[in-house]
Amino acid sequence: MGQTMVEKIVSRQVGRKVSAGEKIERLPITKLFFNDVIGPPAIEGFRANFTEVFERYGTAPRVFDPKRLYFLPDHSVPAFTIQIAEGVKLMKEFAKETGAKMYKEGDGIEHVVLIEDGQIVPWDIVLGTDSHTDTNGALGTLAFGVGTTDSLYAMATGHLYDFMVPESVKFELTGTLPQGVFSKDIILHIIGIMGAGGCSKRVAEFTGPGVRSLPMDARTTICNMAVEMSARTGIMAYDDVVADFLQGRAQWPVEPIDSDPDADYAQVVPIDLSALEPTVAFPHKPANTTPISRLQEMIARSQREPTPDFCTVDDDVITDAFLGSCTNARYEDLVAGAAIMRDHQVHPDVNLIVIPASRKVYQRAMAEGLLQVFIDAGANVESSNCGPCFGSHMGVMSSKSKMISSSNRNYKGRMGSPDARIFLASPATVIASAIEGRITDPRKYL
Amino acid sequence: MITGKVTSIYGKDINTDDIIPASFLQQSTDRKFFKDYAFDRYDPAFRERCKQTTANIVIGGENFACGSSREQAVYAIQENNVVCVLAQSYPDIFYRNSLSNGLVLITLPDTSSFQMGDELRVDLDTYTIENVTQGTTFRFEMNPDDCDTFKQGGMIGRVKHHLAELLQVSK
Repeated sequence: MGQTMVEKIVSRQVGRKVSAGEKIERLPITKLFFNDVIGPPAIEGFRANFTEVFERYGTAPRVFDPKRLYFLPDHSVPAFTIQIAEGVKLMKEFAKETGAKMYKEGDGIEHVVLIEDGQIVPWDIVLGTDSHTDTNGALGTLAFGVGTTDSLYAMATGHLYDFMVPESVKFELTGTLPQGVFSKDIILHIIGIMGAGGCSKRVAEFTGPGVRSLPMDARTTICNMAVEMSARTGIMAYDDVVADFLQGRAQWPVEPIDSDPDADYAQVVPIDLSALEPTVAFPHKPANTTPISRLQEMIARSQREPTPDFCTVDDDVITDAFLGSCTNARYEDLVAGAAIMRDHQVHPDVNLIVIPASRKVYQRAMAEGLLQVFIDAGANVESSNCGPCFGSHMGVMSSKSKMISSSNRNYKGRMGSPDARIFLASPATVIASAIEGRITDPRKYL
Repeated sequence: MITGKVTSIYGKDINTDDIIPASFLQQSTDRKFFKDYAFDRYDPAFRERCKQTTANIVIGGENFACGSSREQAVYAIQENNVVCVLAQSYPDIFYRNSLSNGLVLITLPDTSSFQMGDELRVDLDTYTIENVTQGTTFRFEMNPDDCDTFKQGGMIGRVKHHLAELLQVSK
């Protein structure tokens, strides 16, 4: 029996052949990163728990490997409270003390920056203190979001404890995406089929010719949202696109990876890309998806049979739009948005916020005139951070407001008031909707 | 033996944003802080109900506490004197975070029979739940290693031991 990529990566790390279902008491990891939300409590926890152990051995506190440890202030920067500023300061001090890499405010979002900088390579086992760490799986790595405790343990010893090797679900993508349909529409469609818990305890492996035809940015969008169907993580094989992307960028040795053809899967789900349309997720759950051609039917259904996580939507009018987040604010996303925005204006009743996902994306978009397009159209362009997706700053929503967002979660209260409504869509759909002030099929602008 | 009273019953796909909204996460690094903001936007009455008894039990549906990896969701529940959660399933991140803190998570295929106010006795040695109020008993399944970790309130002892081993080797 062959192995899935997950089984291969874990096998290499533990030095013996393992299969799904096995428990690994101590799994060595290869990369670990922290954001400004969990970094500060994790550093405090690290000191509180391990100082006495270091003292017992007469060593200064040290981390498992400073070259594999990164701190990225991205959620709430530039800081808007003193507590947040203190947290970022603590990360800076700790990084200096231990030799770990500290990024700066505005360098960008964790799941974008490390990939961009060539820190993430195939065969890595990556832990990050954020559920969207699954994004990194697009490079053939095994990447898990973890909480404070798992992360601070890993910081000390470089291990994840009591790890169950997960089964994989194979999503086999075939066909070609029609014009105006993007990778965000693919993953929204898949989450809609599987449901919010449909991939629980399993890894979502995306494969097939439909994946091989996608550029790198588009791939990361798909892996990013695997967690929205409760997948353990998302993963994709190494191929020419990954090879080109890592050429001259990778800071670590690169080796190809793919699942064996006879690997065992819990489920195989075929997806025909040519049948897809722009897709929209309705509040309050990413799994509440509809093809945009059936938008009005979905609105009617929300009025007829609302539930706590599928709430009543009055109409297709929107008041806010967000092009940003770790899901969809990379260079190609800004290109797709700007292509529609060009020669149009943001609707007078809409507040459009555009946040490039990293400083490098920001610089490139500026050099190529993309930011100018958004600014001239009346958008607010902000420095790189997670923005309103985290519901704390840069566009917190009022009651009754209606947002269309390129981000990954439309939970009740996620971006501010619990009485706000959030719709998820591709960058193209977000910008077309920002122009018209209602949820709009982007294909009419192409 | 864990004894407590059912004081909250939720449906499926409750997420960790529901349990603790993001805007509170960076206001403190003290786990006790999150007590006063549990379910702040989803069910603010949760905290008041939890004050009525010293040992609360939460009933959930499928996929309880999905979404964000914020461990503060575990603190928010635990600090409100919740001794145990019974749900149909849990996503892995929340399950791991609960293990780390000794918040006991019980998985049952059907949680629909539990009513508000039911007195429960959860026995982690025999894997049984007695609903004292209704006079019913259920068996549940749990990985024995997880059971030990729940009982010990996490695995910090093992991790310290591992770190000591590593420091010894590098000496």
